[in-house]
Amino acid sequence: MTISVGVDVGGTYTDLAAVDASGRVATRKVLSTPADQSEGVATALRALGAAPASVSRVAHGTTVVTNLLLERKGARVALCATAGATDLLELRRQERAGLYDLSLHHPAPLVDAAHVVAVNERISARARLIPLSAMEAERVAEAVAALQPDIVVLSLLHAYADASHEAILARAIAQALPGVDVVCGSTVLPEIREYERTATAVAEGYARPRVRRYLEHLGARLAESGYPEPEVMTSGGGMLPAREAAGRAASLALSGPAGGVVGAAAVLRAAGFGDALTIDIGGTSADAGLILGGEPLVEPGGSVAGVPIALPRVLVETVSAGGGSIAWVDDGGALRVGPHSAGAVPGPVAFGRGGTAPTVTDAHIALGRLDAAELSGGVQLDRAAAHAAITKLAKQLGAAVPRTAEAIIAIADASMARALRRVSVERGVDPRACVLVAFGGGGPLHGCALADALGMRRILVPPHAGVLSALGLAIAPERREAAQSVMQLALSMKRPAVAGLFQQLSRAAAGRMQKPRIAAHARARYAGQGYELDVPFTARDTGATIAARFAALHVGRYGFTLDRPVEVIAARAAAIGKARKL
Amino acid sequence: MSSRTRSRGFDALGLSVMSNAVAMIAEEMGTVLERGSLSPNIRERRDASSAIFDSGGRMIAQAAHIPVHLGAMPESVRAVMARKPAPGDVFLLNSPYDGGSHLPDLTMVEAVAEGSRIIGYTAVRAHHADVGGMSPGSMPQGATELVQEGLHLPPIRLAPRGRLDDALLELVLANVRTPAERRGDLEAQRGACAAGAAGWRMLLAREGPSRMRAACDALLAYTERRARARLLEIGDVEGRADDILEGDGVSDVPVPFALRLRVRRGTLSLDFAGTSPRVRGNVNTVKAVVRAAAIFVLRSLLDDDVPTNEGIGRPITIATPDNCVLDARWPSAVAAGNVETSQRVTDLLFAAFADAGVAVPAQGQGTMNNITFGGDGWTFYETLGGGQGGSPKGRGPSAVHVGMSNTRNTPIESLERSYPMEIAEYTIRRGSGGNGLHAGGDGVLRRYRVLERCTVTLVTERRTRAPRGALGGMDGAMGINRLNGTPIPPKCRMELAPGDVVTIETPGGGGWGAAPAR
Repeated sequence: MTISVGVDVGGTYTDLAAVDASGRVATRKVLSTPADQSEGVATALRALGAAPASVSRVAHGTTVVTNLLLERKGARVALCATAGATDLLELRRQERAGLYDLSLHHPAPLVDAAHVVAVNERISARARLIPLSAMEAERVAEAVAALQPDIVVLSLLHAYADASHEAILARAIAQALPGVDVVCGSTVLPEIREYERTATAVAEGYARPRVRRYLEHLGARLAESGYPEPEVMTSGGGMLPAREAAGRAASLALSGPAGGVVGAAAVLRAAGFGDALTIDIGGTSADAGLILGGEPLVEPGGSVAGVPIALPRVLVETVSAGGGSIAWVDDGGALRVGPHSAGAVPGPVAFGRGGTAPTVTDAHIALGRLDAAELSGGVQLDRAAAHAAITKLAKQLGAAVPRTAEAIIAIADASMARALRRVSVERGVDPRACVLVAFGGGGPLHGCALADALGMRRILVPPHAGVLSALGLAIAPERREAAQSVMQLALSMKRPAVAGLFQQLSRAAAGRMQKPRIAAHARARYAGQGYELDVPFTARDTGATIAARFAALHVGRYGFTLDRPVEVIAARAAAIGKARKL
Repeated sequence: MSSRTRSRGFDALGLSVMSNAVAMIAEEMGTVLERGSLSPNIRERRDASSAIFDSGGRMIAQAAHIPVHLGAMPESVRAVMARKPAPGDVFLLNSPYDGGSHLPDLTMVEAVAEGSRIIGYTAVRAHHADVGGMSPGSMPQGATELVQEGLHLPPIRLAPRGRLDDALLELVLANVRTPAERRGDLEAQRGACAAGAAGWRMLLAREGPSRMRAACDALLAYTERRARARLLEIGDVEGRADDILEGDGVSDVPVPFALRLRVRRGTLSLDFAGTSPRVRGNVNTVKAVVRAAAIFVLRSLLDDDVPTNEGIGRPITIATPDNCVLDARWPSAVAAGNVETSQRVTDLLFAAFADAGVAVPAQGQGTMNNITFGGDGWTFYETLGGGQGGSPKGRGPSAVHVGMSNTRNTPIESLERSYPMEIAEYTIRRGSGGNGLHAGGDGVLRRYRVLERCTVTLVTERRTRAPRGALGGMDGAMGINRLNGTPIPPKCRMELAPGDVVTIETPGGGGWGAAPAR
């Protein structure tokens, strides 16, 4: 019972990393099985060959949620919303999908207008303007039942502050529709701003039934072979037992990319560094991330496949530049790379799987930078074909082959460098003071050029660079989170109130965990502003110390403070178990 | 090798990398501005743009979040260059008649110094929440002279050779209602200009002056080539359009607009003969704004990846008659011209392209629906989205800003916590998009109940003339403004009592193509 296993399912490969009690690492790479990801997981475990009884934990990074959002293959959701505010999902935040492409639409909402039920009730910032009657709750429950939904989502105005109407309605619906799950906006994301809260709650409802089925299936499959219950990585770098993860589907949307940065942070700490930029270069895209003080930067917000999910997530900025990105000449005569990618199939020309368009990987081969005959995963490289493809492009441009290949790589580097600058400069971090952790299949190939472009002096290429996400999973501690709305001026919060808040959140986050470490954050802002910063706090704080810490953070991030009161809109806590050492 | 891919030693292989490098500098200027600015209008609604220019004053890259600033800043840099700047000088301006647009847009320009030479310019334009004048917000209803709209600044040396002239800054701040916020936003603009200057210096040091000059030539030529290629593809065509604004801001008499558009051998010429003379109210606008609208429309016909630089405007020529509402001169008022007249010019261009047989969207809502509530010690301003026109590609999007704006809405919950108001309804105005093969997008309905005595000021359009459909598509529904259920004028100021309900229904977009018979 000593081996900790991480299994990361990607689009092409399922990666496995196993760490034993002495810190030794073993890795495996097998093909993914998109129709049923659990099959690839089981294959990878078999390939490891360890006795199931010797495995103490199986930690899993999954793309199930990402894929179902991309493919729009989630549940049939009925949404109950305050009368007069039933179109929030369509209204979004009013911004258009393309600044110049005027016919571009945002992806359609996950619930269409016919599946939204208006509820005659209204809570304002000040009072219950229209109380929710038992009769109205019953009427709504009947209307919902008539829609025959797989799952029901409730999201009423100002429910972050007063969840009583959602609670009444949830009871009525549970009676009318026994066995159908009910998701409340005030539970999924107890924070002000109706659009983000509703969209997040709907994403949860949309993904939950399928995620639950998948995780139950995976658990049963592993249990059959004698493995322990799997744990799943959340977008925020947390780790939940599968049973609990099934009820927090929306928080698994960026499970995969989070694992990479968590793994990079573990390697970084082991090497004795604190601040880093990370670049994970795969076949179709590259992910840029930021690590501060040895911890991945976690921020709320962002969207996945056009669906806003305002839950905490490990910061990852994706650019479409990877090994499979295609080089081409546009109608203005310029050499371009991406955004189209040959992906894994057909893949680069050199893979011999039918690809004909020259890619970044082919450029590396033409320059002799990739000289192995075979890549991991059993891919045989056809060097001559790669060379021929680059030569054809070079002729079209009237340039020499090596120059053309170098230019292709330089273009890919430029867009990755821009993503790295963005994640750092936007947060007031100077890239020159950071280590560059370069991983993924293409990380080591591009690390030096990226460091040069950003003025960085240290590059860390971790061992097992090709399966770092899986390694991150294997060593990540268990981590559970809880959140609640606060909406108070910081200065009005006395010490007992802060301590009470801390205790309440800690208990909710810890659940059955044994003596976890608690990391709590207050989401604070200057009153009247529309953006927040996460301020760490403990039971010993007062509102005044939180406000002071907020001001210091604000200076670091934005360079100034304002002469305005500080307001705490919400608070979260994470309960964190022990990490495995490398 | 043809000259198509090789331009004086700088070739097609380096273009993407260089394009990325200059765009990154402009983008970082934007980041520094947003991080440092105090006001929500700049930080959250992102009503700001940044750009870099070479030593000849050519715009090499622009990061624009809002189309109304597109390609309008070269005028600012030219106005500064006319004043013979010294290396390191930082100028501030807002004069619509000397490099600006309307007074709230304060533009800062730095002459980037390298030793004793100027190697380029960086410029940042930001919409400030107040620059003085007759009403808070400096977007007054009923202004008839520029000086009523706020402090008027020709290009002034705010920081000669980089050293801030405190007296000059004090003078500016003494003339605005919110000096502390303005000081902060101006500091953020200086920071952004400086960040752009540092980036430009570093790039020049890395590439060397002669290669950089070649790179700039190649970048501008590349964008110009992409724009001309699109116009050549359109062929030699001609189209006409006319339209109106529903009043000039002081009267409800319609203000006529006319356009003759010609595409010839890869050029686009626009002649506004027949457009109204200058008017008494503040819907006048300067040519730089007309140019921004023209560039926006051309930009929307190009692929999304075309780099934004001065090359895009090169194929465009604009002619306006003497004394035209589109060529405002001292002392005309212009505040609303930037927000509403710019929309009308965009509509005219699309309509004229459609008349010429070019596949473009039908008209969108054609207004920003400017709404201001003001009470004892508080002001709340917002603009509302509406329907986009249907297009050859499909249905028009609903509930979005069309044309020259793209700002976000205010969440109901935030608004209700901060102001004595309730949003009784915020929904899609179903069926307001014009029918057609591809229907127009729908407008929105927003119902405000005020809880205190206050005033509401409306500056809206498309309340008497609907957004038109194209090629047999039906018109979109006109917008409607109501007070307690009774219609009120498109542009007005009303006193409200507690419990009063103001309802705004924004216009739908026009439909595209005839709907198939049932």
